[in-house]
Formats: sequence, C-alpha cells, structure tokens
Amino acid sequence: MGADTILTLDNVVSGYGKMTILNGTTAAIRRAAITTVIGPNGAGKSTMFKTVFGLLGARTGRITFDGADTTRCTPRQMLDRGMCYVPQGRNIFPELSVRHNLELGGVAMPDQSRLGARIEAMMARFPILREKAAAQASTLSGGQQKLLEVARGLLLDPKLMLIDEPSIGLSPLMVQEVFAILKDLRDKGVTILLIEQNAKQALEMSDYGLVLEQGQARIEDAAGNVLSDPRIAQLFLGGGLAPAQQVA
Amino acid sequence: MADFLQLLISGLATGAIYALAAIGFTLLWQTSQTINFAQGEFVMLPAFFALVAMTWLGLPFAVAVVIAIVCSMLVLGLMFKVVVVQPLIKQGVLPLVISTIALSVLLKEGVKDVYSAEAQPFPTLFPDVTLSVAGVAVSLAQVGVLVVAFGTIVALQWFLGATRIGRQMQATAQNPTVARILGVPVERMILYTFLINAVLAAMASILISPIYLAKFSNGESLGLAAFVAAIVGGFNQVRGAIVGGLLIGVVDNLAAAYVSTSYRQAVPLILLVAIILFRPQGLLGRREERAV
Ligand SMILES: Nc1ncnc2c1ncn2[C@@H]1O[C@H](COP(=O)(O)OP(=O)(O)O)[C@@H](O)[C@H]1O
Ligand SMILES: [Mg+2]
Repeated sequence: MGADTILTLDNVVSGYGKMTILNGTTAAIRRAAITTVIGPNGAGKSTMFKTVFGLLGARTGRITFDGADTTRCTPRQMLDRGMCYVPQGRNIFPELSVRHNLELGGVAMPDQSRLGARIEAMMARFPILREKAAAQASTLSGGQQKLLEVARGLLLDPKLMLIDEPSIGLSPLMVQEVFAILKDLRDKGVTILLIEQNAKQALEMSDYGLVLEQGQARIEDAAGNVLSDPRIAQLFLGGGLAPAQQVA
Repeated sequence: MADFLQLLISGLATGAIYALAAIGFTLLWQTSQTINFAQGEFVMLPAFFALVAMTWLGLPFAVAVVIAIVCSMLVLGLMFKVVVVQPLIKQGVLPLVISTIALSVLLKEGVKDVYSAEAQPFPTLFPDVTLSVAGVAVSLAQVGVLVVAFGTIVALQWFLGATRIGRQMQATAQNPTVARILGVPVERMILYTFLINAVLAAMASILISPIYLAKFSNGESLGLAAFVAAIVGGFNQVRGAIVGGLLIGVVDNLAAAYVSTSYRQAVPLILLVAIILFRPQGLLGRREERAV
C-alpha cells in the first residue's frame, strides 16, 4: 500500500444473516482518483460500499480509511472521518423541501454555524437547487434528484465519496453531467469510488478499475488496462473469471 | 340548520380527539413500523394516572394532568419502546402486532382490577357553559376541546416542519436508512416519536374522559376510531390522520343524530370498508416507495 492509498480492504468478509457476500475482498483505493467498481449483478458491489461505510458489519478482515482502522466504525463515524455515501436508487426525502433535504446533509457537521454557508455554496454550484429550493423534493426530475443527493453528500466537504450506480434511470445527457461533476471533484482532490453498470463509459472517465466477482476483487488496475482486458468481455458475457472456483 | 351546526361542532370536537390518537398511531408506523393495537388503551390509561393522583394522593386537577402526561411519557413512551418494541421489532411486524394486542388486554384488565370496573366521572378543563351564538347553542366545553386539540396539532406540525429536530424526525420517517447514512441519530428520533405519541395519547385522554367518563374499556372504541382514522387518511401521513379523525368524528355524530344511535359503533367500520373499496391508498395517502 503506497502513500497515495486512501482506503484499503484486507480480506473483508461480510453478508446478510447466514449469507456471505463479500468473501475475502482485498483492494486498495488511490487518493484523489476515480475508481470504478464493475462486476456482474449480485457480485457484492453494493454490499462492499455498505460494509466500508459501516452500515453492514465486517465479520472478519480489516478496513482502513485515511490511515486509521475503520473496520468497526458506524456510518456517523465514517462521516466524521470524511467519507460520504450516495446509495443506489432514489434517496431523497420526498416530502421535504429541496433546501431541507440539503440541510440534512449537514447533520454531522461539527461546526453548525457553517451550515448556512455550506448550503449556499452548494446552491451556487448547482443553481437548479437554488431555483427549486422551496419546492418539495419529489417534484424534481430523476437527474435533479441525483444532483441533490450528490450536493447533500458534499455538504460535509468529504475526502471520499462512495457513489453507487448514479446513472441508473438518467438520460444520457444527465449521465454526462453527473460524470463531469465527479471528474471535477476528483480534480479538486476528492476521491471517488463509483459503481457502474455501464462499465465502458464509466471506465473511460476513470483512473482505476476494480472488478468484483463473487465477493472478491479479481482485477485491480489502471482503467485503460481493465477496459482492454480480454477477461472483461468474458466476465460480462456470463463466464466466470476464476475457473478453478467454478462449480459445474 | 342550527341543529346541524351544533352536531358539526361536537363532531369536530370528538374528531379532533380521534385525530390526536390517529396522528400518534401514524407517527409510530412511519418511524418504526410499529402498528400499535393498544393505541386505544394508550388513550384510556392517562385519565387513570390523573385519577390516581387526585383520589389516592389528593392532588389538585391541574397537577394531576401534568402527572398524567409525565407518567404517560415514561410508561407509554419510554417503557413501551424499550421493553416491548425494541426487542420485538427485529422479529418482524407480526410478533409486535400480537404483543401490542396482548398489551391492550393487560392495560384494560390492569385498570379494571387495580382501580375500578365502573365508569369514573372526570373533571373538565373547561367551564360547563353554553353560549348562544346567532341562534346556535355552542358548548364552551366543546369549543375548548377543539381549541386545545387543534392547538396541539398545530404545535406538533410546527415542531416537525420548522425545527431541525422535527425535520430529522420526518427524514427518519420517510427513509430511515438514508437518514442514518447522513448521520441522523435515528434511534433517538424514534424515541422522540414514542414520547410524542404518549403525549398525544395523554392529551386525548384528558380531553375525552369528561365526555365519555373514564372507563377501563374505553380503549376498544377509541382504538378502532384511531385505527380507522389513520387508514382513512392514508396511514402514512400526519395530515391524513387529521382529516381521517375529523371525518370520523363528524360522520359519527351526524349518523347518531339522523340515522340511529345503535348504528353509531358501525360508522368507522363502514367508512373503512368504503375507503378500502374505493381508495385503498387512503384519502391523502401516497403509495409507499422505498429504495436502499
Ligand atoms: N439487504 C439484503 N438482505 C439480504 N440479501 C441481500 C441484501 N442486499 C443484497 N443482498 C444479496 O447480496 C448479493 C449481493 O448484492 P449486491 O451487493 O447488492 O450486488 P451488486 O451491487 O453487485 O449487484 C445479492 O445476491 C443480493 O441478493
Ligand atoms: Mg448494486
């Protein structure tokens, strides 16, 4: 692990009830870069995010974030350490206003007197949120809701953003916009860990790629190398990556 | 017409009390998936806290009211959450439903054995005066009930909408997982909901007991009214519970006067069936949609 690593997973095992999903996941995520996690449906990508963020406990293994062991941290502690998480799907509070949705991103802010200024900063950055500040969040379009979720996550000025399939259900134009925002964040030093179904488009704008299959990281490399790896096509066409482990 | 207006006012007064119970019911469901089948008994019990304070301890009514509210918060709020809901909610909705039904029996029988099986007169907060306003006889007690119940509802709505804690409670109700992801102390918000439900039940108890007398079995019809009001209103909306409560109170009163008192008990059930047939999501309800 180099000095430019911000997040590591070392043999992490986690799952739901008796079901094991992450099955000894090991990975190192580079600081101030975009890393895209790809893998077949059900590979455990979302589970990996939930485990890293402390929503789901790791049974064994070790997770470090920004130099500290965070294996047993709660979501609130992860927020305090500078990580934010934008889950898959729609995650706004539909009956609260756009402003109040944004404000809830600041619950964990240590200095609450800065909250107003941070909300202003986010509205300056995403003018549509200012325009719709008083509207019920459910009146936003799908893409606007995603922007709201991203802005809400950024309110605490995180070092790392976990963002799970932001492009689902968005128009191609909106996907471009979300990806542009992520690239801009990366350029400002924020680490982005992204899950995407649209592997090609996501890897093209990423620095690194991480291929997860059956709860294990199979390939970890520069995005370009992952894109051109012949095993990727095989993986997405159905065949597994590790023939030795396949059960007929 | 004057008759109708009087019936309307008394209907709104009882309806506002039903609304208090129905709002609490809805809040519990929203934040913790608790369907409290003991909600009627939660409205029955606080009056007896006050009666114990007055008759056994000899305290004045005003002090007894405060004691009733505080005891409700401790027993129906804190203890209910920690002893009944918290251990059971992990097992799913059904075990909790069964436990709240058992709790309702326990509270009912407990009051009957410990205090009395007889209906107890209960003092009213308001003077028993009837005013004549433009030919309509208006009972000051009913207006008082309306004002206090609506005042409570407005205060609650203000708290939920205009304070940061209130909005964190709404966030917890609308999507607990996302609330947790943002750092909202979800468990604490759920506890607040239970405390608020207890206060609402205590308010309803103190307002309704002078009208119906305090009796161990009052919870049966009150619970039904609150449950139906919540469903009629959409089950997942505080506003819906208010509308549902008022509607049942008014329809109940009009039916008793114009149809027959013997059908009165059936009114909430008829409303319930009508709603389920024609508008299953409730009057103001939205369909549940939840990600994560
Ligand atoms: N809350 C849950 N409870 C039980 N099983 C779950 C839950 N969430 C996901 N799973 C299961 O875990 C496996 C991995 O899911 P997930 O991490 O969401 O996959 P991915 O994001 O890679 O598509 C799937 O088989 C899924 O059915
Ligand atoms: Mg997923």
